[in-house]
Amino acid sequence: MTAPTPILRAERLTRTYRIGAATVAALRDVDLDLAPGDFLVVQGPSGSGKTTLINLLGLLDRPDAGRVLLEGRPVGDLAEEARADLRRDRIGFVFQTFSLVPVLTAAENVAWPMALRGLGEAETRRKSLALLERVGLAARADVRPDLLSGGERQRVAIARALANEPPLVLADEPTAHLDSETAESILDLMAGLNRERGVAFLVATHDSRVVARARRRVELRDGRFEGEGRAA
Amino acid sequence: MTLWRFAARNIARNRRRTVLTLGVVVFGFAAIALAGGFMAQNLDGLAESTIRSGMGHLQIASPGGFEDAGGFEPGRGLEDAERIAAILRGDAAVKEILPRLEFVGLVSDGRRSVPFLGIGVDPIAEARHMDAPQTIASGRWLADRDERAVVLGGGLAKALGAKAGDGLTLLATGVDGTLNAVDAAVAGIVHLPIKELDDRWLATGLTLADDLLAAGGRVSRIAVVLGGSRGASAAGRRIEARLREAGLEVEVRPWEALAPFYRQVRILYLGIFGFMGIVLVVVVLLATANTMMMAAAERTREIGTLRAIGTRPSLIRGLFLREGILLAVAGSVLGALLSLLIRTVLNHSGLTLPPPPGGTQGMPLHVQAYAVAYAAAAVAMLLTLAFASWLPARRASRVPIVEALTHV
Repeated sequence: MTAPTPILRAERLTRTYRIGAATVAALRDVDLDLAPGDFLVVQGPSGSGKTTLINLLGLLDRPDAGRVLLEGRPVGDLAEEARADLRRDRIGFVFQTFSLVPVLTAAENVAWPMALRGLGEAETRRKSLALLERVGLAARADVRPDLLSGGERQRVAIARALANEPPLVLADEPTAHLDSETAESILDLMAGLNRERGVAFLVATHDSRVVARARRRVELRDGRFEGEGRAA
Repeated sequence: MTLWRFAARNIARNRRRTVLTLGVVVFGFAAIALAGGFMAQNLDGLAESTIRSGMGHLQIASPGGFEDAGGFEPGRGLEDAERIAAILRGDAAVKEILPRLEFVGLVSDGRRSVPFLGIGVDPIAEARHMDAPQTIASGRWLADRDERAVVLGGGLAKALGAKAGDGLTLLATGVDGTLNAVDAAVAGIVHLPIKELDDRWLATGLTLADDLLAAGGRVSRIAVVLGGSRGASAAGRRIEARLREAGLEVEVRPWEALAPFYRQVRILYLGIFGFMGIVLVVVVLLATANTMMMAAAERTREIGTLRAIGTRPSLIRGLFLREGILLAVAGSVLGALLSLLIRTVLNHSGLTLPPPPGGTQGMPLHVQAYAVAYAAAAVAMLLTLAFASWLPARRASRVPIVEALTHV
């Protein structure tokens, strides 16, 4: 019996940045496999390369060397519009700072990725309300983000990440700006979605509460995974 | 959530900036619409005064007759004026037929002789459609075509020291080459708007002019008054074809072809209006592009988020473009309302403009609701705002997503 194709694979990913005259290696020869339905936590202190890894795996940035395969398909040579379509359809994002659009209501924020796929307004409304109900925010559907608490905003962001039913969610420090109780409820929500819907989660964090929920965890230090340098 | 509604919400998020941007568009629109309306009114006024200066909407002359400068050329007059008039009366567009016999000569009071540009007319028809009879400063207009009287331009009367009731002698070369002279009384003195013409102008009835020139019933031209100045060229072509079908060798020209001054002024106005329009568009472009750049810069992080979750760069550009279009449409609607309001105030202000170059009479300030100017202003604002929004949209869609997401 062969192992299922990893939903996400990174091969010898390297990313460097120029800061003034200096060159900083944010990520060095990183390999990673993420199976469908997995819940992988990437640990590491600030500056270890977690966000850089998320950016490369989420097709938000391009590596200097190495490649990313999404559902077995190399994505490095794709044009920006095609990469945007993959992000829309196959990847959900949860950001540290929630990153909701302030002029849209909670339901409209959730509906936006569906609207991008061309779904009608009635259908996106119905689906976004269902997602908000799933994250416990149905009653706040028509409220704009500035009137929501931090925890509520992150719930909306999670609902938005699931809008197009992606098989993969990338989360970058999703609990960083939340109090303990709210952080726990967000983690419960993510774990539940992972368990019930089989959505694969890759979470970058240095929050020990998140680490405790992981099925697998790897530690990133100075741009490399500790140990063999491979999270597989 | 449609892109249009999203764009509308983005416009509404910073009300002060939106009001400022809208203000620029509104005043830009109003300036173009009002200037266009003023220009159109002036051109229409000039067209009307050109037509009523004696030209009519159409003129008919024998072949080559339009090349004769100011005088009656023997052998070139219209011999069949009555037949031509009969055919013209059968055309529904023709309102009046004004035969004229143009000539040059000397007018003398016995002590002084002054050159003049003369015109023999049908005084009754002339008074119905032309301006000169309406500008009587003293005395009266000619009573009928057989009256042995003249009406002088104010400048010519002054040069002669003549007044209504005085006797004068007109001298001119007749068609047979002899120098003829006739006596006439001064019926009245007119005040023509163009000084050079006022200094030389003399009008008399057709009978006296015919006697002076020994024209034998011929006229130099026939002016035709139509129902309106629009379509004069088409009417001219139709009438010329009818006259030629009747075996009459004539040329028919519309007033605009015979009015180089009008054409020059029109070109001048269009040049001034065009230049002013370009300046206004540049001002609006700079002002709106600046505010839209600021708006885009403030939203860099948000645009990064939208792109991260799968919004294509082309859609980001479309969003900004829609914001520009909405501002242009709203600004144009408000600008049109403001223009109509200012126009109403100006038209009821009683202000009078100084006389135009060469003129002697000022004219009341009047601004037309000129649809072409309103449409031009709307198109200009739309294109300007589209361009102004294209610059930040292009920038926003090109910033690397990672950079946009960390923008502060």
